[in-house]
Amino acid sequence: MPYAMVAPLVAFIGALAIYPTVLTVIEAFVHLDPLAPPTHFAGFGNFRDAFDNPQVRQSLENTGWYTLFGVGLTATLGTAVALLLQRPFRGRGVMLAIVVLPWALPGVVEGVIWSWIYNPTVGVLNSVLKSLHLISQYVLFIGAHQVETIFLVSLVQVWQITPLAALIVLAALQSVPAELYEAAAVDGAPWHRVIRSVTLPLVRPALAVATVEALVMSLNIFDQVYVLNANATTGSSVMSTTYFITFQDLNFGEGYALSLLATVVTVLLAAAAVKLIYRKVEY
Amino acid sequence: MGRTTKRRRGARGAARAVGLAVVAVWSLFPVYWALKTSLSTNAASQQVPVQWFPTHPTVVSYEALFGAGPQAADAAGGIGRSLVNIVVETTGATVLTLVVAILAAYAFARLHFRLKTFVFYAVIATLTLPVYATLIPLYRIMSNLGLVNTYLGIILVYTSGFLPLAMWIMYNMFLALPKSLEEAARIDGASTLQAFARVVLPTARPGIAATAIVTFLFGWGQFIFPLVLSSSNATEPLTVLLAAIDSRNVPYTIINAAAMVAIAVPAVIVVLLNRWIVTGITAGSIKG
Repeated sequence: MPYAMVAPLVAFIGALAIYPTVLTVIEAFVHLDPLAPPTHFAGFGNFRDAFDNPQVRQSLENTGWYTLFGVGLTATLGTAVALLLQRPFRGRGVMLAIVVLPWALPGVVEGVIWSWIYNPTVGVLNSVLKSLHLISQYVLFIGAHQVETIFLVSLVQVWQITPLAALIVLAALQSVPAELYEAAAVDGAPWHRVIRSVTLPLVRPALAVATVEALVMSLNIFDQVYVLNANATTGSSVMSTTYFITFQDLNFGEGYALSLLATVVTVLLAAAAVKLIYRKVEY
Repeated sequence: MGRTTKRRRGARGAARAVGLAVVAVWSLFPVYWALKTSLSTNAASQQVPVQWFPTHPTVVSYEALFGAGPQAADAAGGIGRSLVNIVVETTGATVLTLVVAILAAYAFARLHFRLKTFVFYAVIATLTLPVYATLIPLYRIMSNLGLVNTYLGIILVYTSGFLPLAMWIMYNMFLALPKSLEEAARIDGASTLQAFARVVLPTARPGIAATAIVTFLFGWGQFIFPLVLSSSNATEPLTVLLAAIDSRNVPYTIINAAAMVAIAVPAVIVVLLNRWIVTGITAGSIKG
């Protein structure tokens, strides 16, 4: 009886998650050209080819920036939003829905609506910056400078995933016993002290979860890059480069090598982050 | 309570109000801007400096999108089909994910069987697998099976991706249910299956709703898998079509109208069902 209930899940995960992952591990070490069989063992050849490819090297550096911006901004903004929503107030339900909205929208759609905001000739961001005299004439935001491009593309993803971080931290905040705040108030602790010494240590595990999720999502950024940056090297990510190398250039060997590398890095970083930030909370 | 404390409270309240206003603008403005653009004429949408409100709102872009009105020739077409596709693929994957996840989650939460812990953690571990790990092999597996550009192929791939999280949420929901209900049903002579169907499922309805909504939203947002596995006109979902329209020479008013069509469904879900989304996200990430 229990076996019958679990069997469909095992079949799905086995056939369409674990088996393909094993294939990725194997085929990263195989020379594989769909147009010119046969395939043969390639050792680290695919990895060497990948690292010799300047496009790939650029995308690795870019992904470092994506991760830095993505994790830093998401964790900070998510915590700030959670603190704002911590205490009950009139209209809190409506506010929660407003906060959640960007999370519920497809990444591609977000890329599309933000690319219009960033438009170099008639965009609203240009219009606002010009009327504030922060720029003297309309500028090309995406594609002109590496770090600026990455920051603005990353911002679109941050817009999408901050709600998740906020909700995770908010749930933890609401489980902090009220007596702790009362004790801090009795001691006359100022608000920033309370946040630093009472709130943050107690929401640390939740913050760890939110940080890891932001880490994994920013390491894997694709939709926003695909729409805003296409296949330019300026803002390419490892994921977008893997996609274009594999499915446009049909270079499956390099694609597999990059995929395996990114998978290993994602899993290791996620594990390390959990270990580093996660400590058991005792009230 | 002293006077200074009160004043400090007032200042803090004001600071919070400002903070909340900033958050609301940050969350809503991009969507408002797409809506405003989609309701503007082409000329009005390109005014410099920008017009903050549509002075003469028009639905001509939406008409064009669905192949009618004066601008029909500007739109790329195919949105009707891609809407049907995204609904079929997302709904199909959501239903399949729920059935498979609920059965397994209940077994993991309540029943005893060999290898339970091993299988449970093997499934949960796949939660950490990034898209990279499976994308290229899945493409090759699906081509060998002839399932590229079919509803079945994309639904199976979606389901395998959504299952670990759905199972995890349902598992936590089942753990939180009191055991006494099932025990009472068993004492009254019900089998495990009967107790599950008549007592557990109705009680777990909130958890099932939360899982269903979160899964549906994941499905609606999918992009790289359908881009690789389902990008023919017959099966491409709205997200893939939208990216294609965006890269063609289509007026921005029409592109934004297409974006609003893709936004409408998740936006309605957030407005009406946000409580369940919050429940689902919280249950999926905090417990354990």
